[in-house]
Amino acid sequence: MAVHVKVRSGGLQRRERYLAYGMMAPAAVLLILFLIVPFVMAFGLSFTNQSLVPPLETVVDETTGETVQRQKPPDFIGTDNYQNLLRIHIFTMEPLVDEQTGEVLRDEAGGIQYERARTYLRPERLEELFQIDLFGTRYLVGAGDASFYRSLLNIFEFVIIVVPVQTSLALFLAMLVNQKIRGANVFRTIYFSPVVTAMAIVAVLWFFLYNPSDGLINNFLKVFNIGPFQWLEHPASALIAIIIMSIWQGVGFQMVIYLAGLQEISEDLYEAASIDGANRIQQFRFVTLPSLRNTTLFVAISTTILAFKLFVQVDVMTFGRGGPENATITPILHMVNEGFRSAQRVGYAAAIAVVFVLIVLAISLIQRRVLSYGDH
Amino acid sequence: MKRIGLLLILALLVAVPVFAQEAAEIELFFHSGRGEERDALNAILVNFNESQSDYVAVAKELPEGSYTDAVNAAALANELPCLLDFDGPTLYSFAYRGYMLPIDDYVSDELKADILPSIIEQGTYNGKLYSLGVFESGLAIWGNKQYLETAGVRIPTIDTPWTLDEFNAALEALSQVEGVEYALDLKMNYGQGEWFTYGFSPILQSFGGDLINREDYQSAEGVLNGDAGVAFGEWFQSLFTNGYTTATPPDDNLFIDGKAALSFVGHWEFNRYSAALGDNLVLIPMPDFGSGPATGNGSWNWGITTQCANPDGAWALLEFMLQPDQMTIMTKAAGTIPSRISVLEQDARFAEGGPMNVYFQQLFGGVAVPRPQTPAYPVITAEFAKAIDEIAKGGDVQAALDAAVDAIERNIEENNGYQAQ
Repeated sequence: MAVHVKVRSGGLQRRERYLAYGMMAPAAVLLILFLIVPFVMAFGLSFTNQSLVPPLETVVDETTGETVQRQKPPDFIGTDNYQNLLRIHIFTMEPLVDEQTGEVLRDEAGGIQYERARTYLRPERLEELFQIDLFGTRYLVGAGDASFYRSLLNIFEFVIIVVPVQTSLALFLAMLVNQKIRGANVFRTIYFSPVVTAMAIVAVLWFFLYNPSDGLINNFLKVFNIGPFQWLEHPASALIAIIIMSIWQGVGFQMVIYLAGLQEISEDLYEAASIDGANRIQQFRFVTLPSLRNTTLFVAISTTILAFKLFVQVDVMTFGRGGPENATITPILHMVNEGFRSAQRVGYAAAIAVVFVLIVLAISLIQRRVLSYGDH
Repeated sequence: MKRIGLLLILALLVAVPVFAQEAAEIELFFHSGRGEERDALNAILVNFNESQSDYVAVAKELPEGSYTDAVNAAALANELPCLLDFDGPTLYSFAYRGYMLPIDDYVSDELKADILPSIIEQGTYNGKLYSLGVFESGLAIWGNKQYLETAGVRIPTIDTPWTLDEFNAALEALSQVEGVEYALDLKMNYGQGEWFTYGFSPILQSFGGDLINREDYQSAEGVLNGDAGVAFGEWFQSLFTNGYTTATPPDDNLFIDGKAALSFVGHWEFNRYSAALGDNLVLIPMPDFGSGPATGNGSWNWGITTQCANPDGAWALLEFMLQPDQMTIMTKAAGTIPSRISVLEQDARFAEGGPMNVYFQQLFGGVAVPRPQTPAYPVITAEFAKAIDEIAKGGDVQAALDAAVDAIERNIEENNGYQAQ
């Protein structure tokens, strides 16, 4: 009897296992086909000088002895792509000296004059990252690909600002439209409408809104005697402009998730809190926020992932270049520009993709660890 | 049921020979830029399809801004059309990568002799002819005569162009005229793209610089970022800092609305501008910025791809487009210069006293400088446009040009100098 049961339950387990595999299969196939395989291919490409469309070369066919034209196959170049991408070099800059007097040359403000950074960088095929004065010495930091480091800096700034601001704004809006007043549904629709509009269209609209001379935003600010601002034209404000429009476009999505979370909270909790003498702020602090803990986690993580993918709005609003002076370049945009636009360096773009994926993966792992640690 | 099945089979048997006789499809890619050009092309294609029964032309329109990217993607996917249109200097990159079929054998000596030499030169790479255009382009300065007279500015001729000082003084005088918001419209609203190179590299050349060293097309150091290049950049930036022009026009109509006194743009605005300004419109030749005047040339042109199953049909269509009647449909609609000398000579708009005679004289007076004929052109134009954008927005001129030089040279080096195979 016991043996019989064992066999039966073993059969059941097997069937359940098959069922589980079967249900997993569609997702697994898609993930392998569109995530794992491309990543492995990109990893392979990143060690070659693959061009998007390679040039033709004339070769002699070994079997027939005829000359044929074919596309030039890529060369294996080892870790060259990674070295060019990540290479950093620090130079100590020598002050310019007057040849006759032997004195250090100074500019009008009394600052020491140095040779142009390019004289150091160009022989090494480096680009300037920044210069810094430390203990009376001028240091010059050059990178093989300054745009890549700049793009990392930009995307971190973007994520660090967008995630908390967009999350809190979404909660605020959700609480506004959660009130049982007439017309709340209209506001829900209005706040959600940018989310369902294509990003490219939103970006074009905001491009016109940001026009310094005749844009709606500067015209509005003029009423309060503020501005005019060179929103997308000045390196200091371009990323801010992208951040503002991205939050405007994305906040509706998180608002809807928060709205669902808010409606899950039982009225009893608020009633109990008010009987205990809690005011509205205390109710928010001790009832609403703790009840929304899981919602907030979901919103924060999904916003972070979306924010790292920043591409379309920058591509449209800066004509695909991430300018001015790389102020809005992002890793994805840089990758697309290197691989698929004029330069056609697919191998190099693959190296950018691999490095960026590893960085985002590390951040996701840390985020998971921190958040699940808080669960206990 | 059975009977229906039988009928179907019979119908198919009858239909197959009909299918076999049906005209072969000739697909073409076309950049959907300005509406008039698109309408004119569609009219020509209708004429082609009606004129014969062997081929049917089917056009696919692609947005101009990302046109070259789309062509590269199509080439990668083996889905290039039979006939491809492209902005002149991208040919060398396409031919280098093996997209294009030489058309020397198709073009008769008679036709070749009638095509503008600049169009033949543009379509030639590595000694072979790959493409022909229906029109040539013209670049000079459109002026508002009334504003020029009010400001007391001399309207120059091709023999006595404005000098740099004269041009600067004219800009200052024009910006004082009542109603003028900007002395000059530079069409910065076209955005960072081919316009920046097509439009502004002739000014760089007139200053004595160039996009690349044309001796061997390997380096740009000292040519693009040398003293002449920096002088060009500083002057160009001063247009914005002095308020003569704007980096962010709110729309495309500054000149038409009378807010700008001069408009630096190509031939393609002729129809719109002459409709708006009438006799008040004047075409001013390119100024001499120091090393003699220079203007751009070259335009969108057509080539047959190596992925075309029916190159004879593609040539039949291209030859049809180059027929004088069809060419005139395009050049009238788009306000462009016909690429056949016989057609151009009969076009009153370019004859002496005509509204666009300046273009004719610039083209034949040796003022027009072709854009660099090298497969590196897509990188050169992208990097120069980026530098122009930074300079216009107030960036450091030397640094912007240096960065362009480094990026261009690095790309050429990585591609082993783009030596033709």
